[in-house]
Amino acid sequence: MDEAERKEFLSLLQLMWTIRAFEEKVSELYAKGQVVGLLHLGIGQEGVAVGTCRALRADDYVFGGHRSHAHAIAKGADPARLLAEIAGRAAGYCRGKGGSMHLVAMDVGCVTATGVVGGTIPLALGAALVCRETGKGQIATVFFGDGAGQVGPFHESLNIASLWKLPVIFVCENNGYAEFTPLSAHTLVSRLADHAGTYNMPNVTVDGNDILAVRGAIQEAAERARSGGGPTFVECLTYRLRGHYEGDPGKYRELSEVSEWKDKDPVARFVGVLKEKGVSAGEFAAAEQQARERVDEAVRFALAAPWPSAEEVRQQVFAGD
Amino acid sequence: MLPKLPREKLLDLYKTMLVMRRFEEALIRVTKSGISVGHFHVYIGQECTGAPALSLLGSRDTVFTTHRNHGHLLARGADPGKLMAEIFGKATGYNKGKGGTLHTTAGELGFLTTSAIVGGVIPLATGAAFAAKERKTRGASMCLFGDGALEEGVVHESFNLAALWSLPVVYLCENNSFGAPGQKAGEYSSSTIAARSLLSLATPYGIPAVSVDGTDAGAVHQAVQKALARARKGQGPVFIEAKTFRWPGSRPVWPELLTGETDLKRAWDLKAIPKQYADWHRKKDGVLRFTRELLKSRRATPEEILEMDREAQARNEQAVRFALDSPEPKPEAALEDVFA
Amino acid sequence: MAEQTYLEAIRSGLREEMVRDRSIYVLGEDVALGGPFGVTKGLAEEFGASRVLNTPISEGTVVGLAVGASLLGLRPVVEVMFIDFITLAMDQLVNHAAKLHYMSGGQLRVPMTLRVQEGAMGSCGAHHSQSLEAWFLHVPGLKVVVPSNPADAKGLLKSALRDENPVVYVEHRGLYFSRGKVPEGDYVVPIGRAALVRAGKDVTVAAFGKMVGVAEQAARQLEGEGTSVEVLDARTMCPLDLETIVASVRKTRRLVVAHEAVETGGAGAEIAAQVQQEAFHILDSPVGRVGAVFAPVPASPVLEKEFVPSKEQIMKAVRQAVKWVRPAT
Ligand SMILES: Cc1ncc(C[n+]2csc(CCOP(=O)(O)OP(=O)(O)O)c2C)c(N)n1
Ligand SMILES: Cc1ncc(C[n+]2csc(CCOP(=O)(O)OP(=O)(O)O)c2C)c(N)n1
Repeated sequence: MDEAERKEFLSLLQLMWTIRAFEEKVSELYAKGQVVGLLHLGIGQEGVAVGTCRALRADDYVFGGHRSHAHAIAKGADPARLLAEIAGRAAGYCRGKGGSMHLVAMDVGCVTATGVVGGTIPLALGAALVCRETGKGQIATVFFGDGAGQVGPFHESLNIASLWKLPVIFVCENNGYAEFTPLSAHTLVSRLADHAGTYNMPNVTVDGNDILAVRGAIQEAAERARSGGGPTFVECLTYRLRGHYEGDPGKYRELSEVSEWKDKDPVARFVGVLKEKGVSAGEFAAAEQQARERVDEAVRFALAAPWPSAEEVRQQVFAGD
Repeated sequence: MLPKLPREKLLDLYKTMLVMRRFEEALIRVTKSGISVGHFHVYIGQECTGAPALSLLGSRDTVFTTHRNHGHLLARGADPGKLMAEIFGKATGYNKGKGGTLHTTAGELGFLTTSAIVGGVIPLATGAAFAAKERKTRGASMCLFGDGALEEGVVHESFNLAALWSLPVVYLCENNSFGAPGQKAGEYSSSTIAARSLLSLATPYGIPAVSVDGTDAGAVHQAVQKALARARKGQGPVFIEAKTFRWPGSRPVWPELLTGETDLKRAWDLKAIPKQYADWHRKKDGVLRFTRELLKSRRATPEEILEMDREAQARNEQAVRFALDSPEPKPEAALEDVFA
Repeated sequence: MAEQTYLEAIRSGLREEMVRDRSIYVLGEDVALGGPFGVTKGLAEEFGASRVLNTPISEGTVVGLAVGASLLGLRPVVEVMFIDFITLAMDQLVNHAAKLHYMSGGQLRVPMTLRVQEGAMGSCGAHHSQSLEAWFLHVPGLKVVVPSNPADAKGLLKSALRDENPVVYVEHRGLYFSRGKVPEGDYVVPIGRAALVRAGKDVTVAAFGKMVGVAEQAARQLEGEGTSVEVLDARTMCPLDLETIVASVRKTRRLVVAHEAVETGGAGAEIAAQVQQEAFHILDSPVGRVGAVFAPVPASPVLEKEFVPSKEQIMKAVRQAVKWVRPAT
């Protein structure tokens, strides 16, 4: 491992820790009633968010879904403004109007997320079209869950992306469940990437808890997209370690299943990889420490931030007002 | 090839095809004479798919179809007069003039509805299959649609559910896009679907899928028979692609009789084939193909064929007269049947 | 009469009808587990997994499937988890469910019920908070009911399930745990009748859903100011019970309509239009309207509170109606 790689790996780790610490804080603040809303945390899925976004360029576009805090942070969003948004403050990315499921951070290419399952998949095609037309080699990436694989617009989007060879990457975070139901009860298709195959789209299924595997698959997909080779479908097999939403009693999963996946925790796994590569315990600890400090600071910022004024509710309904 | 059927049955099938063909020719002719019925879509060229496929349905089965439905209704035995009257918006039509060409239904023939929304009937037919299964009717649901419908997302939602719940539904896709403008030859199966084969849209769900030549009545008959048997046994859905050619006169809105009214003599007399659209008459027109097959297998003579044709034409002329003479619905009827 | 929550009342209505009618099926995401709020809890255990079906996230097809099944004699009840997602099933609902009876010249019937849930609360953001039922008012062939209390929740659901037409049954998430008396036995509330909630003589407030309770609070407070408010629960949006509303207005000569949906283009606009057509001469003031701010629903709690119509807004509209004097022309 050369120095550059070592630095890169530590930075990947730190980013995963930032997301983990952020989500843990959100959970804590929610439990204390300091933030409200319908919150879907991505604890356990950090490998997909970081592995993907770190294989992208800063000027690439990313679209998310309802479980997208991690995507925004991985793409470079400021945790403080993100948390302020989730807490409904005027200092949030969307002035408190969007909330947890509707994050927009255009400065880092997070175009939008959605509360509608599969809702942003068609939007990403539009962004990809723009990327292709502007000719700067940018691409669009969209994250969605396995549940979105059964939604009609998902299929319409695969067809059009392939037909028009759009520079877009479909990242399916297959965490095995849609709300409280396992994938097998929703479809006979066991490998969701096969849907891309139908439309002649290159596709791959990777271990989503292996950040380097995700990163590798996305790098290849991004190269293909940038060079005019069209879309790629990357299915990442992963697991959410918390409930579907904060407050979900989670009775639909066996505890043994959850603990099995805890053993495959993407953050701990990556620590293991680094250990093998000779990175010292002090260095991991520092990465975690810095991440947690950054999140603590975000909490201080968000909770001290002012609320939007009531008149804001009427503003920005139409552009140009 | 001819369907494996006794002569009587084959001739019945042939008569049905002739009624289908002559009906739409009459319709086009009437509309050219100044009678306005709104825009409509014709089934000309697809008779060898619809006639054998729908002849296999029984009283427990249901059918759902699209904007291109005249042929399907007639294939199932609809009365040409009531159908023509419906297309003309008359009170005597199948739906009292409220459905029109795009929405004709005939409940007694198992036609539950006809949707002009591309792909719209696919969930409905899947639902009818669900009801058939739950009510243990042992009937199947037949869903007819064009290749364009496969571009709609609901198709996948439906395939997924039909497979997951093993529903008795036959998805019969009439792919009439061969030779349609805009198609990239040899690349994809349609200019707007990025799949090399339409079958690959169904196979990931574990739905058995076959492709047949839609102008080959025997092949269609065999495939549909097998699919229906499977569905009725509760073994789940089947997807069939029937490939046909686009009739030259087919226009998105106003069809034109570019190939003239069908001259069945062209089936046996090559000299009767005009230069223009010769390919159509020689190879692509399924009705002529079926005629040739009947002659070749000696199931009918040219005289018998012409006689059957005269009958079909007469029935349709009568249908036109019936429709023209029928009363318009009363204006108040527009407000009736909004709620059941 | 037993006391039940709104949620329990929906469940018991559904349960009783499923016992009575074998053709009722429940379809929706996670309904076999009770759905996210527990409305359908226990039904799968009682009626079997074949009558209470978990569906994939395929709203378009699931609604279409229910329409198709209803043509063949089933009476499906589809739960769309949030009314916000009805957009994905609009084609099936508007182009098929609503029109098949008519287009077929009366041959077909679509006896299905669409259960949806709505309400701006809890900072759920713009995709989980809207009140969209007025859209359906614009589509001939669909019925729309909006229960505001446990008894109606049960009684209207029974009517919806027995209706021969597609009925959109709109629940309010904020009412799920409100309690009320529910008559025992086969309690049915006919579709098409408004209910008198509180008699009064100065102003009529016709409200829908959660706003009925808010209007009652407003009425109680206005009583202290010497204004007597009659509160009607308009409860069936289509068909609308114009007769009851007009009869009340004949008495009070003033009308305010209130709903949680955005004011512009809401059901209140339709009521105002119909009432002025029918009874312009007896109105002593313009019809007042109270609805949400014309904006997408904001997530921030402070903005959300501003968005949702309040008791104060209803009181203000009532006071304005009372004070109104015809300007000299
Ligand atoms: C169109 C639509 N239907 C239903 C829902 C309710 N819902 C929210 S999340 C979810 C499950 C999504 O599962 P998946 O796509 O696998 O993502 P995950 O939650 O596992 O990350 C559902 C059904 C929704 N938000 N949008
Ligand atoms: C949802 C929808 N989109 C567009 C149309 C307009 N339209 C009518 S027919 C047609 C083409 C349909 O092609 P296909 O399904 O292959 O059937 P064909 O006409 O070839 O038989 C289109 C796009 C429509 N009726 N419905």
